[in-house]
Amino acid sequence: MKALTGNLLDDGEAVFLDHNGRWAPRFADAELFEDDAAAMAAEAHAKTQQTIVVDPYLIDVVPAEHGFAPLSFRERVRALGPTNKPEHGKKTEGGEAIEALLHAHGAARSKGRLDKIKR
Amino acid sequence: MYRYDAIDQDMLADRTAEFREQCARRLAGEITEDQFKPVRLMNGLYLQLHAYMLRVAIPYGALTSAQLRKLGYIATAYDKGYGHFTTRTNIQLHWVKLKDAPDILDHLAEVGMHAIQTSGNDIRNITADPHAGATADEADDPRIWAEALRQWSTFHPEFSFLPRKFKIAITGSPKDRAATKVYDIGLRLHRDDAGELGFEVLVGGGLGRTPYLGPTIRQHLPVRHLLSYLQAILRVYNRHGRRDNLWKARIKVLVASLGAEAFAREVEAEWEATDKAAIDLPDTELARIRAAFAPRDFETLPPTSAAFEAAKSDPAFARFARHNVKAHKVPGYAIVDVSLKKPGETPGDCSSEQMALIADLGERYSQDEIRVSYEQNLILPHVKLDDVKAVWKALDAADLATPNMGLITDIIACPGLDYCALANARAIPIAQAIALKFADPALAEKVGELGIKISGCINACGHHHVGAIGILGVDKKGEEFYQITLGGSPEAEATLGQSLGPALPADKVADAVDHLVDAYLSQRQDGERFLDTFRRTGLAPFKEAVYADAH
Amino acid sequence: MPMLIRWTGQAAVAAEDPFTAVADETPIPRGDVIVSLQRFQAEGERLLGEGRKVGVRIEAHEAVEDIARDLPRLAVVALAIPKFRHGQAYSSARILRERYGYQGEVRAVGDVLREQTRFLARCGVDAFEPADGSTPADLTHVIGRYRHVYQRAADGREPAFVERQAS
Repeated sequence: MKALTGNLLDDGEAVFLDHNGRWAPRFADAELFEDDAAAMAAEAHAKTQQTIVVDPYLIDVVPAEHGFAPLSFRERVRALGPTNKPEHGKKTEGGEAIEALLHAHGAARSKGRLDKIKR
Repeated sequence: MYRYDAIDQDMLADRTAEFREQCARRLAGEITEDQFKPVRLMNGLYLQLHAYMLRVAIPYGALTSAQLRKLGYIATAYDKGYGHFTTRTNIQLHWVKLKDAPDILDHLAEVGMHAIQTSGNDIRNITADPHAGATADEADDPRIWAEALRQWSTFHPEFSFLPRKFKIAITGSPKDRAATKVYDIGLRLHRDDAGELGFEVLVGGGLGRTPYLGPTIRQHLPVRHLLSYLQAILRVYNRHGRRDNLWKARIKVLVASLGAEAFAREVEAEWEATDKAAIDLPDTELARIRAAFAPRDFETLPPTSAAFEAAKSDPAFARFARHNVKAHKVPGYAIVDVSLKKPGETPGDCSSEQMALIADLGERYSQDEIRVSYEQNLILPHVKLDDVKAVWKALDAADLATPNMGLITDIIACPGLDYCALANARAIPIAQAIALKFADPALAEKVGELGIKISGCINACGHHHVGAIGILGVDKKGEEFYQITLGGSPEAEATLGQSLGPALPADKVADAVDHLVDAYLSQRQDGERFLDTFRRTGLAPFKEAVYADAH
Repeated sequence: MPMLIRWTGQAAVAAEDPFTAVADETPIPRGDVIVSLQRFQAEGERLLGEGRKVGVRIEAHEAVEDIARDLPRLAVVALAIPKFRHGQAYSSARILRERYGYQGEVRAVGDVLREQTRFLARCGVDAFEPADGSTPADLTHVIGRYRHVYQRAADGREPAFVERQAS
């Protein structure tokens, strides 16, 4: 399963392609592509939107408790926001999608958990 | 302080107009990202994980109050109310918008600031001793030469497309507070036996994937030839530096592959063929720059201050005086450190409110000067001893008076995976966890001088190679792991850290540091520093302390 | 063939290009030619003896020192820029102008983009084959944009420290 992400050109926000073909700030709203061909078509189309989104790329997504999460640790940080200043990221929204991101175990290569470092 | 004249201001105006136009063309889709990106980078504007990041230059780490105040304003108006001071004494704003960047640059230009060449394969900000002009032990004020280099390197037509970035650091003092051995060019001011002022020129230092301590390629370069000699070094690099492999493109690789002597000969040959008089600054210009940094407004005061001594009856102030107040060359004055390392906070971060406060203190108590150290702290360089108590009270109320300079909680940490697209692991939470373990100021004082430096990836922006305890974040099967090195030092007699053992998972790092400190305290002789104990005992007791327990 | 644009010192103007750039394997046509360093070293004397104008193309990794002796007889030195970030041409251009006093045309070819022409011109490049469709007006605008310069280079512009002495 894949999702399409990038950063908005004008303000740099990390965004995800949603079900309406628009760019949404919340990973929870991301369209999840089961079909690789559809994912790649969406990526190709996004690359033509040079004045809207910068460097769009596909990320792997896996099921997680209460939802889905990006497989890659980096992408989970990107979806959540900086862990040292949660009020600056998207973490304060709370909810199931955020919980999924925080506690997710990826498969095989990427098992990193963001809540491991105790403060 | 050097104040921009009309020509310097025109430069900024032309630059901001140029960037405004380039930005507008990008936003309108007239140029692609591939075409715009190198331009964007040459203006210090990165696209990171969450947002655009603007790296504002703070030439040789020196700020006026007006400049710091303006940074605080920009952080509030265009960012999330804070900035991050880096190990190159610049400041980063982590949440700017591209569409606002031209306006931000205009605001910066109002106070003679910019983001020129804070990124890209060009000559970056020249860093210098943050105690310049205030310390008794300097042969000359390195800021004079840093300003000369700033101008010479700005929009340098031959050296804006180097194989890789290029970093220069200058110290005027034998006590190297600018880490000159770990930069592409390190310059050490001294007088030779005849009393002539000159530079010892070191080339090919660097951290990152292959750390090197820069060898000396010329023991004494008369100061008036600084620019022509540097042109020779940069030209040899520009022509012969590797461009086939990003990881082998720094000058350190060229110097190592040729050997320091052969490299020095290449430079000397190029220099001999150079029309030096065309490139070197005339005496009038050097005198103009020197005059800008001349000391002013110092009162004639007794060397000790009764008020300062009396204030030490407060143990908290006494502790602050022990660690955060340094000797000044002028009797009755002091150099006061402003700690951006309160345990639990993000190292090097400073809120807009804090910036405004420090700017006010700089204006009122420090002759309008503030400095940035590469350890990511700030400094008020010219405070009267009589005023230190008042300054301390103001700093303390704003969480800026942690008495920890050089101690275990004075941690250098890069932004890491929380912000940076290059990172493999987070650095900030590791720093916070360690600092909180040693938050008790009495404990930190007991441990003594101990430089912990944390990098979130091999690019080593956290300087982990030269940490007494260095911590490097790595990605091991998607988890955050950390390799620990011991015994690094950025001082005049610099050393690179030695690997302690296998990388540790994130939740074991703070405990490991605890064990290392215990091992040190049990081995320590005659109040030696952690670094000295390590140099005496080697890795063995420390390895045992961490790995006997780790599994 | 990309447009040739000359920089006069004041303005960028479109120019006729009488030169044919000849690849190593291709037979030399009539008229003025630009050949590789290697080919020049093999056939240069003969070509120059035929009364045509000859130029040499210097690749990024090649040294302009290798044609230093021949410069008085060369009409053009073409500095190849394989990718814009390859900056050797800037050094080559300055050495040609400042060290050897070369008076012929120094032409930047390859990945020549508008934003780099300002730097190239300061290094003594006076002709461009832009790769990004830039027009003479574009280059005039870019190259002339800064009112001052901080350092001496090959373009003869007075650096700031000289301007300051005058005032």
